[in-house]
Amino acid sequence: MSETAVINNHQDEIENTSTGLSNKKLMMWLFLASDVMFFGAFISTYLIYRGKSLVGPYPSEVLDIPITTVSTFILLMSSLAMVLALHYLKENEKNKATLWILGVVLLGTIFMGFQFYEFNHFAHLGLTPRTNIFGTTFFILTGLHGGHVTIGILWMAFLAYGSHKGTLRSDNAIDLEIAGLYWHFVDIVWIIIFTVIYLISANDMPPAGSELLIH
Amino acid sequence: MTTKPATKSLVFPRFFPRPNSKTGIWSWIATVDHKKIGTLYGITSFFWFIVAGLEALLIRIQLSQANNDFLSPDMYNSLFTMHGTTMIFLVVMPLSAAFFNWLIPLQIGARDVAFPRLNALSYWIFLFGSILINFSWITGEAPNGGWFGYAPNSGVTFNPGKGMTYWVVGLNVLGISSIAAGLNFVTTIINMRAPGMSMFKMPIFTWMTLVTSILIILALPILAVAGIQLQTDRIYGTHFFNSLGGGDPVMWQHIFWLFGHPEVYILILPAMGIVSEVLPTFARKPIFGYSFVVFAGAVIGFMGWFVWSHHMFTVGLGPAANSAFSISTMLIAVPTGIKIFNWLGTLWGGSIRFNTAMLFSLGFIAMFTIGGLSGVMHASPPTDAQQQDTYFVVAHFHYVLFGGALLGIFSGIYFWWPKFTGYFLNEKIGKLNFIFMLIGFNIQFGPMHWLGMDGMPRRIYTYAENMGWEGSNLAATIGGFILGVGVLLFIYNVIYSMIHKEVAGADPWDGRTLEWSTSSPPPEHDFDEIPQVKFRDDFWFKKYPETIKEYYEHGEIEEDTEDKLSEKSNHEDEIHLPDMSYYPFILGVGIAILGAGFLSNIYIIAISVPIMIWGLLGWSMEPVNDPHPDGH
Amino acid sequence: MKKLLKKLFYHDGNGWWNLPKNMSGKPNPPYEGPIGGPWLIKMINLMTYGGKSHAGPRFYIIVGIFLAIITALEVWAFELESELAILYIPILLILALIKFVAVVAFYMHLRFDNRFFSYVFASGMIVGTVVFSLLLFISEAAYMTR
Repeated sequence: MSETAVINNHQDEIENTSTGLSNKKLMMWLFLASDVMFFGAFISTYLIYRGKSLVGPYPSEVLDIPITTVSTFILLMSSLAMVLALHYLKENEKNKATLWILGVVLLGTIFMGFQFYEFNHFAHLGLTPRTNIFGTTFFILTGLHGGHVTIGILWMAFLAYGSHKGTLRSDNAIDLEIAGLYWHFVDIVWIIIFTVIYLISANDMPPAGSELLIH
Repeated sequence: MTTKPATKSLVFPRFFPRPNSKTGIWSWIATVDHKKIGTLYGITSFFWFIVAGLEALLIRIQLSQANNDFLSPDMYNSLFTMHGTTMIFLVVMPLSAAFFNWLIPLQIGARDVAFPRLNALSYWIFLFGSILINFSWITGEAPNGGWFGYAPNSGVTFNPGKGMTYWVVGLNVLGISSIAAGLNFVTTIINMRAPGMSMFKMPIFTWMTLVTSILIILALPILAVAGIQLQTDRIYGTHFFNSLGGGDPVMWQHIFWLFGHPEVYILILPAMGIVSEVLPTFARKPIFGYSFVVFAGAVIGFMGWFVWSHHMFTVGLGPAANSAFSISTMLIAVPTGIKIFNWLGTLWGGSIRFNTAMLFSLGFIAMFTIGGLSGVMHASPPTDAQQQDTYFVVAHFHYVLFGGALLGIFSGIYFWWPKFTGYFLNEKIGKLNFIFMLIGFNIQFGPMHWLGMDGMPRRIYTYAENMGWEGSNLAATIGGFILGVGVLLFIYNVIYSMIHKEVAGADPWDGRTLEWSTSSPPPEHDFDEIPQVKFRDDFWFKKYPETIKEYYEHGEIEEDTEDKLSEKSNHEDEIHLPDMSYYPFILGVGIAILGAGFLSNIYIIAISVPIMIWGLLGWSMEPVNDPHPDGH
Repeated sequence: MKKLLKKLFYHDGNGWWNLPKNMSGKPNPPYEGPIGGPWLIKMINLMTYGGKSHAGPRFYIIVGIFLAIITALEVWAFELESELAILYIPILLILALIKFVAVVAFYMHLRFDNRFFSYVFASGMIVGTVVFSLLLFISEAAYMTR
């Protein structure tokens, strides 16, 4: 696809703005900057409270890296599906676009399934948000990330329906593009969470002397 | 784009026809017009201003004499908590938002904001959130943990009951509204400027709105985080701020003030913008050092992030942190000082008219300087250790927030009232209003300085007789009532103006910026023709082209003419305004019910979900403009 | 010098800090970075269609594979945690950063899109990173000295 074609597709929307940038896209980027602060605050809360649990289960007892690696991989691939969907939508290949959007929905749902399994499994091991500070920070942070993914899935499902009906087309591909930005952002938040919560603290042991602190 | 086929869109069944009434209640509920939304913001937040003012008077009556038992201690706690929360989140922020709504499209020469429906949504969420948080008065469990809600005092262990839950849920709902408005205004200012209006030709008020909105976008999510953490602590028993579970109450202070300090600048920057518009108009000179004012605002917005720990000097963060934050706090006084000197420079040599708006602005400069100086005093940790939690701090932030933000906003009201309504506010009553407010304010808050130095702590409901605080406290109470008379005079002035209808023309003050170029009140589409901007203070130079030479070197004007935009905007013969929509209202109701659900039980949350889905789906499938019946 | 000051502060507002008037059609210039030399430039231009338009599926899939490989590396590092010792956390953070940049630059199109979007997102990232690093530092210092 040539460069001019891209511009023409957006012509309607951008012709009235002072910078020539799309309003919706600009707002989505601003929102993402805002969400950076949201997740930033939660991740720092997690890091500050890391290793300060007074009672178990501790991260090393519950976190399961192989399973989370699979779910991380699935979320990464959903980003790939997302970007392909956008590409085909701009190329006016309706069926492929719809299929890839559905792929995003499917992969996102599988990811949520993993998260549901994980939460359930942790609860069986005796870790709930009320158990200790690790449980508190872990569940609220990953839970809110899951909430973001869920919203993304619903949004994608709506767009898939639109693409199927032919109302989402190359000339309003911006709607899919901003949804895609949101989706990729959720993905990069997970990249950080996977590193910070899972890989870095998966071997965290009880803090030294914690038995004494309780008394 | 005539060859483009009409875009199909999904259709969501409408339970009501799309509203199009110009009058009556529906014209307000379904409005997407930035002027109407601005009016709604103004009226609502003024109502809360009266409520919070009455709360303050009750507090003052209680403190007027030693060992008073006018209020119970519990009631006193609720009153000062709600006074602070209401004044900050329901008065100063939304009053600024009222000005943003009214003025930004007018000042940048646009017909509306970038997302009119989102704008309406922000208002409705704000309204319902404010009702939600004040509903606690009816249930008899008003929040009582202070407007900063320090943990663990705000936790469920030390503060059982629903009070602080109302507070935290209410703030979360209000946060959504503020973020939505912030996104909207940044996009509007960046993307909707009139042809030729580059960033550095924008009025200062627009610049300050931009900085404020960026701060809102980046700071309010942190409040949401603090709110969610406290909410889960209170409702679901998590341990974020519970030291028995491994949490740390100091975390709350960090996260709250990480939001709280940028918030201070969110409150004051719009007032600075207003003053920077009023002074040049009444001094009949362009603002002195435009770029410095703009950069100082931007620098304040940036440095405001790195000073939060000065609220926590007595926590014991260690000497390194205390000194670093002490230095950054002192440094942030520099850009503020730059602004004050620029305002003075604007007045220098001008032909000044002392209108009410001008008087309020001058009052702003004086009072804000006093408040700023006492602020620099607590930038030093040893001094702060003496002043922490005393009335000195109360005096400081009232000088900044009332003497600063609110006097600035009143100046703006007197300045733009003719533009908003088409009628003048009475000047004589206005001056009386100013005198009462300024004198009352100083009698009320001046004595608090030495009360604080004398060691009177904040947030106590009474004090002993032999402390020597009675005289000053009585004076403060009397000052409070004088201030109250000032506010009553303002209300009288509004009524007077509505009855006597002294007509103001399009440009009553000989203004400088674009909003004065359209009629008063502006037509629904703001500008008959989108203005072409060549200069900063463009409207002034259109009126007085002979003054161009004074401010522009020859040759620079040639460069300017390159700014001419494509012919397209000149040939725009139709005016497209977004159609009205009731979905923002519905979505706002849904979000309010969701908030109420967190306060009561899960079934109410279940009710809110279909309402929100209805609002969202209807919204996203509704085109901005319905196709016209004539196939246009 | 005078010109510089004029650009910064002059009254007519035509200096720096202006947003370009219409930049929608202008993509970022092709990669000319110091690392990699002509070969890398050629490769990247080939994959991103000259950096002009949005890249094609081939490029996206390559990025996807790259992301998967980095994830595998991360897990491998996890297996070697005791050997890596003090290097473990920095290595993980760098790998995460690479993934982060890859997604933001290529999947979110910041590499191909207008620079202004990069500025918007970067400003949020910078404020966030600095403020929260400071917060971590202060909390940790206060915790150690308690």
